Amino acid sequence: MNLLRFAGVRLPGAGRGTDRVSTISRRFTHHDATRAMGGGRELVGYGINGTPCYIDCADFPFPAIRYRVVDSAICALREKELGDWKKLTLPDKKLLYRHSFCQTYAEFQHFTPEWKLAVGIGLWSTAIAILIALIINSAGYDEYPETFQEERRQAQLRRIIHLQIEPITGLSSKWDYSQNKWK
Amino acid sequence: MLRITAGKVASAMRGSLGVTSTRVIAVRQHGTEESAEAFDSRYEKYFARDGIDGWEIRKGMNDLLGMDLVPSPKVIESGLRACRRVNDIALAIRWLEGCKDKCGDQKATIYPYLLEKISPTLKELGVPTIEEIGYDKPELALKSVYDI
Repeated sequence: MNLLRFAGVRLPGAGRGTDRVSTISRRFTHHDATRAMGGGRELVGYGINGTPCYIDCADFPFPAIRYRVVDSAICALREKELGDWKKLTLPDKKLLYRHSFCQTYAEFQHFTPEWKLAVGIGLWSTAIAILIALIINSAGYDEYPETFQEERRQAQLRRIIHLQIEPITGLSSKWDYSQNKWK
Repeated sequence: MLRITAGKVASAMRGSLGVTSTRVIAVRQHGTEESAEAFDSRYEKYFARDGIDGWEIRKGMNDLLGMDLVPSPKVIESGLRACRRVNDIALAIRWLEGCKDKCGDQKATIYPYLLEKISPTLKELGVPTIEEIGYDKPELALKSVYDI
């Protein structure tokens, strides 16, 4: 119901409130949205999953739309392009190329210093994580309970041996009860 | 099972819709390896077809440049002529760039060979080589999207 309303479909039994919504909202079909995505650029291919978006990528060098919006200058040049290509000057050819594509192969495959940013962000986040760990360790926790004192732990060990806990393979098996010392 | 059903459906379609037999032949079957010559001639024919449009040219070129191969000079020439027929020089230059890129780390050996083979067609059509147009090196720096 709601879905239909947002699609701009006028429902016969709908009340006044919904009636207003349906008159305001435009009917968006799949094709309108995809066309709007291209921003008025010439749709020249299928592209990626039929989406009219531009991308420079060696795996997929021919995107679905031309890069630039059509204007009068490019129209004149396209007219000239219909004729012999030998009559086109080099700047003309470059302009036609840049109308269709944003970057050349050499440009989009050029090594960029982006790795510095990646390394920087990585080091900064590691430093912040270490700092947080240090702060929590120094100020974030309560003191150890008294059972952690060396004296009490020794007493507990004595009691474990006295009760003969794990006598086959465990702790007490290492205690020699006849000699009263460790084996 | 699927193969048998598909075969039956295909034959039924052929009968009812009148699909020409050339299309059916073009469908490759399992277990058969297409030879390099057959592959080249298939794509040569694809680009040489009358009434091919930019959409189909882009589709063919995208497919070819996505494969693990360097297009043979005949296929490249055929593609260039297809670009000429739809009057799109940008497409032709991009196609050349893509073919050069497919040479990978063997650009020093394969690319001169390709260029030598296709240079008559380039001269005939008036398509500049990548070196002539200066696209072998980066020409423009791209502005950051945050500065536009």
